[in-house]
Amino acid sequence: MKKILYFLLVFTFGLSGCEKDDICDANTPTTPRLIISFYDIKTPSVKKNVTRLKVVGKDQPEGIIFNEGGADITKYLTSGDSIAIPLKTDEDSTTFSFILNSDNTNPELANTDQITFNYSRQNVYVSRACGFKTIYKLNTQIPFVKIDSGNDGIWMQDVRVYNPNIEFENETHVKVFF
Amino acid sequence: MSKYFFSILLLFAVFLVQSQEITTDTVKKEIRQEESKSKTTTKAVVEKTTDSVPVKKDRYGLRVGVDLYKLTRGLYDKDYKGVEFVGDFRLTKKYYLAAEIGIEDKTTDDDRLNSTATGTYLKGGFDYNMYNNWLDMENLITVGLRGGFSTFSQELNSYKIYNPDQYWGEIPPITEGEKYTGLTAAWAEVAVGMKAKVFNNIFVGFGVQLKLLLANKDPDGFENLYIPGFNRTYDGSFGVGFNYTVSYFIPLYKKQVIIPETEKKSPKK
Repeated sequence: MKKILYFLLVFTFGLSGCEKDDICDANTPTTPRLIISFYDIKTPSVKKNVTRLKVVGKDQPEGIIFNEGGADITKYLTSGDSIAIPLKTDEDSTTFSFILNSDNTNPELANTDQITFNYSRQNVYVSRACGFKTIYKLNTQIPFVKIDSGNDGIWMQDVRVYNPNIEFENETHVKVFF
Repeated sequence: MSKYFFSILLLFAVFLVQSQEITTDTVKKEIRQEESKSKTTTKAVVEKTTDSVPVKKDRYGLRVGVDLYKLTRGLYDKDYKGVEFVGDFRLTKKYYLAAEIGIEDKTTDDDRLNSTATGTYLKGGFDYNMYNNWLDMENLITVGLRGGFSTFSQELNSYKIYNPDQYWGEIPPITEGEKYTGLTAAWAEVAVGMKAKVFNNIFVGFGVQLKLLLANKDPDGFENLYIPGFNRTYDGSFGVGFNYTVSYFIPLYKKQVIIPETEKKSPKK
């Protein structure tokens, strides 16, 4: 009897002590990023690596970090075949500059395209610890607007929406052919 | 620990009764000799009367009270308002019908969510008294089961969007003010508690409850973070509760106690 009482008391205080400790698990799917995959324009079924691509959000001083461990300049660069970029959770459109060959010693080789993604948002409950997440749906009519920033031509020759529902990060949402 | 607690209470009770009976003591002494039935108060007399077992009568009735923990919490916790009334009715020597009814208004302020649950609840079940009382003492150490039911509403006051990527910066919490009504939940609980008679018919007690959520109607697109009567919800379906009660016993009738043989042979308690 005594033991039960003690156990219950310890248990109760133990639980109440835990209240503030519940942390949102990193594996929980929360607000997803937009996944863009790059493909070869000549053979559209084959993925193609970009060369030293830097993506900067409009009015942001720095680019999106692709390479956590990199140095000052290289951490903003990627040479992979897909990227994940965050969309704004408080606005229905987000604009990025995609700079290819961004750190080339010859500035004329760098090519900047600007793209604006238009979408609708929905806030979805996740859990007590994580709160809510935002999921997006790219607009059906005009999902994106692509313009050439500077007179260096458009390097993203074709952009296609592959999956307009941006809910998870394990699938490609937009395909870019170049 | 509980043994000492009751011993101390017993001691106090003895003093109390003694001081009250001083005037009639001399008169009673004579009666005791003849009857040896009257309720004895001091330990010395107890030892004398164990040979000839006195006719002991248990009081049966209704005990009603209030949870002081919930009542006073509203004074220091601005996020909480609530009251719980407790009651039990003695069915047999050991079993009590027990029920609690309450109303709560609790704002849960988590890191990412702020919500308010408001509602009423009813719990019913029984208590089993494991404590063997001396003489006419009426203390209880109980283990009991309850079924609980709550009907409530929940209001989402504000929330934050969880975004692991902070490139666009943290956005302020969204104050939406959506209210979800018509929510219900049902649960079972194991209650362990004790009640001690402090004087006359006044009892104080405390108890802890382990709860298991059986049915829970979550709102569309949200979750019940607090259920009145059940308290905070956890990832699993378990919950805990605590109460500190003061209650008044309304005696209704008395029943003679039949002392079993085994108890007579080893009167340890």
